[in-house]
Amino acid sequence: MDQQALLPQARLGEFVAFLAARQKLIGPVALGYNQYKFAEVTSLEELSLDYLPTILPPKKYFLPYHERLLSYDLSDGQGMEPVVEVEDITLFGLHTCDLAGIQCLNMVFSDHPRDLHYLTRKHHMTLIGLECTDYCDHYANCAMLRTHLPKGGYDLFMTEMNDHYYVDVNTYTGEVLVREADLFERVTPLALKELRSLRDAKKKIFQNELPIRYQDMPKLFDDTCDSEVWTQVGDKCLACGNCTNVCPTCYCFDMADEPELGLTRGHRVRIWDSCQHETFAEVAGGENFRGQRSERQRHRFNRKFHFPLERYKRVFCTGCGRCSRSCMAGIDLKETLNALIDERS
Amino acid sequence: MSRPKVAFFDLACCEGCQLQVANLGEELLDILGRIELVEFREIMSENWPGRYDIAFVEGSVVNDEAEERLLEIRQRSDILIAYGSCATIGGINGIKNRRPIAEVQHAVYGERIDWFPARPTRALHHLVRVDYSIPGCPVYPPELIKVIKAALAGLPYVVPDYAVCVECKFNENVCMYDKGVTCLGPVTRAGCNSWCINHGNICYGCRGLVSNPNQAGAKEVLRRYRLDPDRIVDKMTMYNAAMER
Repeated sequence: MDQQALLPQARLGEFVAFLAARQKLIGPVALGYNQYKFAEVTSLEELSLDYLPTILPPKKYFLPYHERLLSYDLSDGQGMEPVVEVEDITLFGLHTCDLAGIQCLNMVFSDHPRDLHYLTRKHHMTLIGLECTDYCDHYANCAMLRTHLPKGGYDLFMTEMNDHYYVDVNTYTGEVLVREADLFERVTPLALKELRSLRDAKKKIFQNELPIRYQDMPKLFDDTCDSEVWTQVGDKCLACGNCTNVCPTCYCFDMADEPELGLTRGHRVRIWDSCQHETFAEVAGGENFRGQRSERQRHRFNRKFHFPLERYKRVFCTGCGRCSRSCMAGIDLKETLNALIDERS
Repeated sequence: MSRPKVAFFDLACCEGCQLQVANLGEELLDILGRIELVEFREIMSENWPGRYDIAFVEGSVVNDEAEERLLEIRQRSDILIAYGSCATIGGINGIKNRRPIAEVQHAVYGERIDWFPARPTRALHHLVRVDYSIPGCPVYPPELIKVIKAALAGLPYVVPDYAVCVECKFNENVCMYDKGVTCLGPVTRAGCNSWCINHGNICYGCRGLVSNPNQAGAKEVLRRYRLDPDRIVDKMTMYNAAMER
């Protein structure tokens, strides 16, 4: 089996139908107002493949915002059963930024202590990527992070060309899909040439959006810890938590026990939490060690560009631009970083 | 084990929150299996002369008569639950607090002002200890049930101190500001699962403001979206005027 294949564009509809018949198929759908979300689809007509990053990233399928972890029964001692809510899902049309986001989450949840709920669910996901040939809008900063190009983390990856999709086959699951769909053709030298010229064109379009290399970011944050920029950002911030909820790499969660009415049985659940919330860093005694909005925003930026570089040797920003796009107060990631860079120089 | 004696009361309100309880459907039957309902004017005629394990009080305090009634209910109850915007934050009744009380009375009762002695609107916690609060106009049934469970189990319930936007994002609604409409989601406490916005309406702030709302920031947001800042003040005081003290 070749590691690459071609899918004629005219047969994309058949491929989507094949995937939908196989297991639950999720892809980007339009909500109006140029906004999109990942939702279940059964046909190509329902999909919007030319889309801006969705409101919520695909993390909602890997780490649901309300997830049962175990069920308990106290009627006879302390009975507890782990629960993993899992189903086979194919995610279709993922941009490279979102694939990078999933790779970040994989690192976090594979780290000690391994998160078996996440890891079990991850094995039930089939990921099919779709290449961006141009910027989605001015909020994106993917070239800075080199996430505008495919770097693994998918089963199949599709690049739209003149008559075909160029498809990179990255896993055994991907191979099975290509074989069983029976819609794919062999890669031709002409197609290879076309892919190369497309990637060359991308080099001109996607240029580092900021006057800094990501490797130098931790130093920038060390130097600007007490910057006035954070005060200005804090004055704007409404602490609504949009930036963290829509972030593909934010994974903070809270835990709660939800009893049934009889009170002897119930579930332990985890729910997304956000470092932007007023009470996130509040501890016993009422002390809040990040009581200011400015401190919380600074913390968020550090959690993207500083701390993960030290721990995982990876930036936890994917350049998708969701945080800037969803911020009603207009706190813009690129503007904020530029302001920090300006102030230091 | 005997079931806890539960009663429902109303002060100044529309009794719409009681209707939410009466309309719970199958879940109401489950709740009735766990409690002994001793007073609930909207659905039964019996009264109870003894102690209440749990008293639910809807409505706000707008005159001396209501204040006396509330004090008596508090005295006779182990647990007091304020439910609905009127009881928890003063709600719509609080609008009258924006003007001198005599002016308001005159506008409503004219020459017969002496027949209806009135006071500024107060939420229950302004007068008595409140053990649980369920904000909302009307209350959101899943939250109501959550609080009933907490009260039965003797566990605390804390109304979220983060914005409605959080749950609205979980529901992936297109932001009202992107539709060019003023919405109080960014400054209003969550817990309603963005009920109104899910159905195409805006957030009116019926659950009360978050503990530390960024009012200057909220006005800046309106400027950014070219919306009238006075409108957000009007909307904020629709439910929250009684909380300004």
